[in-house]
Amino acid sequence: MPPSAAGFSLTQSVALVWRTLRSMRTALILLLLLALAAVTGSLIPQWPNSPERVLQYQAGHGLWGAFLQRAGAFDVFGSWWFVLITVLLFVSLVACLVPRTRATWRAVRQRPIQAREIDAFRHYRTIAVAAGPPEAVEASRRVLVRHLYRVARAEGTGDPTALAAEKGAAREVGSLLFHWAFILLLFGVIFGKGTGFSGYAVVTEGHTWVDARANYDGQIRTGRFFGGDFTGVGIHLRSFESDFRDTGQPMDFVSHVDLLDPQGNLIRSQDIRVNHPAKIDGLNIYQTAFGWAGVLEVRDGDQVLTRQDLVLSREPAPTGVPAFAMPWHGVLKVTSVRPQMAIEVELYPDSRALAQQLQTQQPVPMLVAYDPVISYKVWRGRLTDPSPTSLDTTFMKKTAEGVVGGGLTADLRTGKQLDPGRAAGGLTMSFPDLRHYSVLQVTRDRGVPIVLAAAILILLGLLPALYTSRRKVWVRAEAHGEGSVLQVGGFALQRKPQFEAEFDKLVEAIERAIDDGGSTTRVSDGSDREKVGSR
Amino acid sequence: MTDLQWARISQDLFNVAIFSYLAAMVGYFAYLAFQRDLLWKLARAAAGLGLAANLVSILTRGLAAHRVPWGNMYEYSALLACLVVGGYLIVVEGIYKVRSLGGFVMAFAILTMAIASQFFYVTPGPLVPALNSYWIKIHVQAAIWGSSLFALGGIVTILYLIQDRRERKQVDALRSQEPPPIMGASLNLDAPHDLVDDAGAPMSAATTGRKRLPSAATLDTLAYRLIAFAFPIWTFAVIAGAIWAQEAWSRYWGWDPKETWSFITWVIFAGYLHARATAGWRGRKSAWIALVGFVSLLITYYAVNLWIVGLHSYKGF
Ligand code: HEM
Repeated sequence: MPPSAAGFSLTQSVALVWRTLRSMRTALILLLLLALAAVTGSLIPQWPNSPERVLQYQAGHGLWGAFLQRAGAFDVFGSWWFVLITVLLFVSLVACLVPRTRATWRAVRQRPIQAREIDAFRHYRTIAVAAGPPEAVEASRRVLVRHLYRVARAEGTGDPTALAAEKGAAREVGSLLFHWAFILLLFGVIFGKGTGFSGYAVVTEGHTWVDARANYDGQIRTGRFFGGDFTGVGIHLRSFESDFRDTGQPMDFVSHVDLLDPQGNLIRSQDIRVNHPAKIDGLNIYQTAFGWAGVLEVRDGDQVLTRQDLVLSREPAPTGVPAFAMPWHGVLKVTSVRPQMAIEVELYPDSRALAQQLQTQQPVPMLVAYDPVISYKVWRGRLTDPSPTSLDTTFMKKTAEGVVGGGLTADLRTGKQLDPGRAAGGLTMSFPDLRHYSVLQVTRDRGVPIVLAAAILILLGLLPALYTSRRKVWVRAEAHGEGSVLQVGGFALQRKPQFEAEFDKLVEAIERAIDDGGSTTRVSDGSDREKVGSR
Repeated sequence: MTDLQWARISQDLFNVAIFSYLAAMVGYFAYLAFQRDLLWKLARAAAGLGLAANLVSILTRGLAAHRVPWGNMYEYSALLACLVVGGYLIVVEGIYKVRSLGGFVMAFAILTMAIASQFFYVTPGPLVPALNSYWIKIHVQAAIWGSSLFALGGIVTILYLIQDRRERKQVDALRSQEPPPIMGASLNLDAPHDLVDDAGAPMSAATTGRKRLPSAATLDTLAYRLIAFAFPIWTFAVIAGAIWAQEAWSRYWGWDPKETWSFITWVIFAGYLHARATAGWRGRKSAWIALVGFVSLLITYYAVNLWIVGLHSYKGF
């Protein structure tokens, strides 16, 4: 390639960039940059993990917060610069892997190279043996092969009785496997996240939830290449159980479900609990949360206006208050009456705990359903907020409030609870039952097996890459009287101190193997030569 | 015996362990100062006693809680101290015959345990559901083994940097002497010992005789061995954690602070391994990277649970 006179040509610049990317120093710096970027991600609150804390942080940091927002610091792991570092790292990885792989491929296939001067190596011994040179070298070859060396005999006329041996290719091969596996890992992550999704299903006891976009609670998170294919699989929640310690710490929660195919036929029954997701049709279904759904029936005389299993949500607890000490909230909207009606509901699932709470003025967790009580407010007027969970009372007026116990009925005009068994006219609300609902996270990530395979390859490659060592050994025999003199030289690329003993053992083994044919005398015990300053 | 009694025994033994380590630390430092074999023997006996107490304390804690005794920070810390001391006695003193690092290792173990009993103590009890998994046992074991070896590597690295400085000063002092020393004797002065690396370091107690601390080259190699030993274990721990997260939280990776920091630690030590294979980064530069890795390990271990909220900071304390 003729060097262009006017500065860098395009090919030269590309070559320079490529050379830079190929260097280990670049990889090292990129690795440290990656670590640094991850540090930012752990010190500044992250949008995907805790959006509330991001808002809080932004509120408290004015200009600085705005700057961080602009820089993508609230979503470091999705920011352009994190992606850039990762991409550069992987380009650099490929750039250095390709030539390394080619070189290794050649080295592995190439026969070990003969040495010209064996006595120049760091480890060197000569032994006199009774066998002739060809036999001695053949015996050495067998010993070396037994010690897992690859052995090549010298060819041609010059030196028929010499051999070269080496071992430890696993080090380089393992290192390559380890590095290539990261490419597989990246592919698995991108493929899985790209084609996958994640959303929440809320199912009340006795109900069936079907996997379709509209049935997810709130937004679903989809990958960039998500095809919109939902399975139509059904989850029927037969029952739900929760178990707490005395301290209010949750111990176990289980959804007993029937999994149904899109036609509604039972595929199998299963328990879903924390750490034990259900897997069906590529979907993973996880137990994430649970709560209470009040079965509520609103009547006008004999006419049922609505009957719902109203899903209630727990108020966030202030700090220091156990989460389960808080009441559960919901709103029941009745649009078929004039004026329209909304009933705000507050559930206390355990009236014993509630009584204790009122008595002691201390928060007491309500963990089980025991004589549940609902306190309610009735609003009449115009319903303007279409959301099923929130209520806008701008155009409404509160007409009554009261409490109703489980299994009982309240008169919505007066707010009075009716005696059991008494027939009621007018608007009433009864509270026949309290059920659990279960919040299940439904996800699909087809990349998981690929990522797992990559992780296993990473480990498999790492072990030989770190713990095996390359060694080279040369042997040459020359006729000497009846027998021959054997020169053995050795050289270690890693774990050099250990090689000293290894080499001694190897020479002894060679001696012994040749000895099987005749007697041996040691000519020189040639103590290992130290070559100061050499590597 | 009742759970309560087991818990008491566990706690008492925990204290016995701390005090034994304290005695061992004093003994080891005295050995460093006076180079009397007897001191070293006493120190080693105290360390052994502490290790036994530590181990039995962990076992009885398991009996009291009816589960594997590594479910919260207090228990991780006890196990970490136990493995660091055990690893030191077996690997450093047993295999590499380096005796002079004991005081520093004991100091680390004492600090770990003292912080645990001061800030993390909880009465033994069952685990929260997310922790109640087959994978936690594997993940936590691997993480603690990896941490303890990294921690040993970190301690040795600090000593390497100290010793390296001292040796460089000696070299400078020799250089400034007039007339220069005989050529033969000065042969090694110009060869930075990081180039000697694997090649020269004789791993024997003999080198520790006069100089108190092992030579910088010995420490450097020892630190490398410990970190290279820890790295795959840590890698495995991160993978096991990801498998567990996939089962418990529906994703194998979510950049939760603990995940993020174990990743950072991993990347830094990967950088260390690369640095050792990169010309110009060997020796002191890579030692500094290892030191940063050690700090990152401590942050992963402590700061995330104490100050940064996330899925991993269980209210176990
Ligand atoms: C330009 C990119 C890269 C180059 C040139 C490179 C080169 C190397 C080389 C030559 C070794 C062997 C070192 C030795 O023999 O001691 C090595 C080891 C290692 N590499 Fe890389 N690497 C690159 C990227 C990466 C990346 C992206 C990672 C991790 C995400 C990584 C992780 C490791 C680890 C952990 C080792 C230690 C195992 C060993 O010592 O063989 N490398 N790398």
